[in-house]
Amino acid sequence: MLGRIGKWIDERAHLSELWQSQMVDYKVPKNLTFPYAFGVMAIVAFAIQIISGIFLTMYYQPNVHTAFDSANYTIMKEVPFMWLIRHVHAAGANFFLAIVYLHIFTGIYYNAYKKPRELTWIVGWVIYFVLLVTALTGYLLPWGQLSYWGMVVTAEIPTSIDSAPIIGSLKIGETISIWMKGGYEIGQITLGRFFGLHIWLLPLILLLLVSVHLYLVRAAGISNPEGREIDKKKEGVPFHPYMTLKEGAYMMGYLAVFFFFVFFYMHHFLPPDNYDPADPFKTPAHIAPEWYLLAYYTIFRSIPDKFLGFVAFNLTLVFLLILPFLDFSPLKSARNRPLFFIMFLVFVVSSMALTILGTMPPTPTNAMLGLIFTAGLFAFFLSLPIISIVEWGWYKARGGEKQ
Amino acid sequence: MIKAVVFTVITVLFFYIIWINNIFAPHERYEMPAQHAKIAEDVKSYAKEGKQLFEQNCQACHSVRYDAVYISSVQANPKLQTLQEKYGKVLPRDVYESVFYEDLMALKESFGKIPPDLSTMYLVKGKEYLYNFILEPQKVLPGTSMPAVMTGRPEETAKVVAYLKSVSEPSPEEKNKRVLMGVGTIAYLIVMGILLWVWRGRILKRMGLH
Repeated sequence: MLGRIGKWIDERAHLSELWQSQMVDYKVPKNLTFPYAFGVMAIVAFAIQIISGIFLTMYYQPNVHTAFDSANYTIMKEVPFMWLIRHVHAAGANFFLAIVYLHIFTGIYYNAYKKPRELTWIVGWVIYFVLLVTALTGYLLPWGQLSYWGMVVTAEIPTSIDSAPIIGSLKIGETISIWMKGGYEIGQITLGRFFGLHIWLLPLILLLLVSVHLYLVRAAGISNPEGREIDKKKEGVPFHPYMTLKEGAYMMGYLAVFFFFVFFYMHHFLPPDNYDPADPFKTPAHIAPEWYLLAYYTIFRSIPDKFLGFVAFNLTLVFLLILPFLDFSPLKSARNRPLFFIMFLVFVVSSMALTILGTMPPTPTNAMLGLIFTAGLFAFFLSLPIISIVEWGWYKARGGEKQ
Repeated sequence: MIKAVVFTVITVLFFYIIWINNIFAPHERYEMPAQHAKIAEDVKSYAKEGKQLFEQNCQACHSVRYDAVYISSVQANPKLQTLQEKYGKVLPRDVYESVFYEDLMALKESFGKIPPDLSTMYLVKGKEYLYNFILEPQKVLPGTSMPAVMTGRPEETAKVVAYLKSVSEPSPEEKNKRVLMGVGTIAYLIVMGILLWVWRGRILKRMGLH
């Protein structure tokens, strides 16, 4: 019976043809390494966020008086199993961003941003940016001390434009800051608009962008760890079952780690300080953004001039965006590019060090270290054109295209 | 191969520092005698006693709203029961704060600020801090308006902490259930992962792709 219903539907919707053409006949390189699974993990992490978020919306109240209690009493204590959903959503957000970062670093390592995949990279960058905004808006919703004061600090950052020489007098920064908060202080209006953005607009934008990103991955083909374009007809293996089962098995491992944190280690994802209700009259001792923003925060904080700091951390984002054009070398993948590999190591170490420095108190030594690692980060981006020119030389010397 | 190992190690190390144990960030540590730590941990035997001690010593100023414990003057107010019939035992914060505004303001007048509600205080501060603070408030937080009510009664202080823990954290039975759920979920995922891998090996062999 079930089989006949399936057949009836298939005769009309041609689903099995779609499956055959998109999953089985779709060929991918056989030598894809483990980091290529981060893309699929990110999709699953996104799905987990959407599903758990839908359930949280049912009990969360976006009201400054009741938000804290709805999160910590109704959700955590009153409604059965909502504690699990909140744990999943809170840990899921961190895991989602962690996976996205790993995905970005993988893309950089294998030069997945190069022709013909520049657009995939750019759309991916927009996803990353929207994701950061989504995380930021969601962080305010529990209305705890960290949520509140984290947002106070974040909303202050644009005002550093106002200390610029000429445009400072226009007070653009203050305007942006007020626009972010919906007024001169963080209150009901801020919470309401952040709630709306976090549960409706930003996830929809993300959904759209992720679809475009996936389409582009299909259209341009998956990159290769060896850095060459494969002949799909001769070398590729069918996506299903070769890749699906491999990534499915990795997925299970990823989810096992994820649920270990959900059940046994929520200390970082639901930090103690955020169990304190938001109080505008009580500044907590240590205010720092969440870990996924800390590298930018350290860049901003280490540079003595506020405006220059603001420019520097935005420049990091811009460099990431224009990466395909900074790196115009004919060679692909760090496996074939020793110079690039060294600079990639500098990049990884600098970004990790900047993140860790962000958790430390702002002493002069730490500011100095912050400057050094900021220099390391910029050295990576700025060395790319030089490396590219050198590698064009090697490429030509070896005979270019004929090779 | 070496590259893969190096990248894996630094990634895992990075997330260990950021998520689990940040050895670089400043930590405040408070000490607590072992026998009292044991009392504060043992919710099952001491939470009830702790609640009585709380009612005698702390309730004059502090509420524990998530346990439907309100400050004494509110508890004596007949309005409370009417409100609880309408809103449930745990009153919404805005209702509580507006109906009993005068009681809270009276406290503010004598202490300089409204003494905080302690529903989630255990989660914020941890047992060591609470124990030391309740025992000798001025020593831990100089200048605080919290009076030294429990000074010289360390064992009873530990029992109050056990009560606060019982309000903030799930009960021991619930915790055991969650551990069981967690172990079950993780075991299921690992077994499924291994099965998928084995199955994949067989399919690929049949397809000649291995």
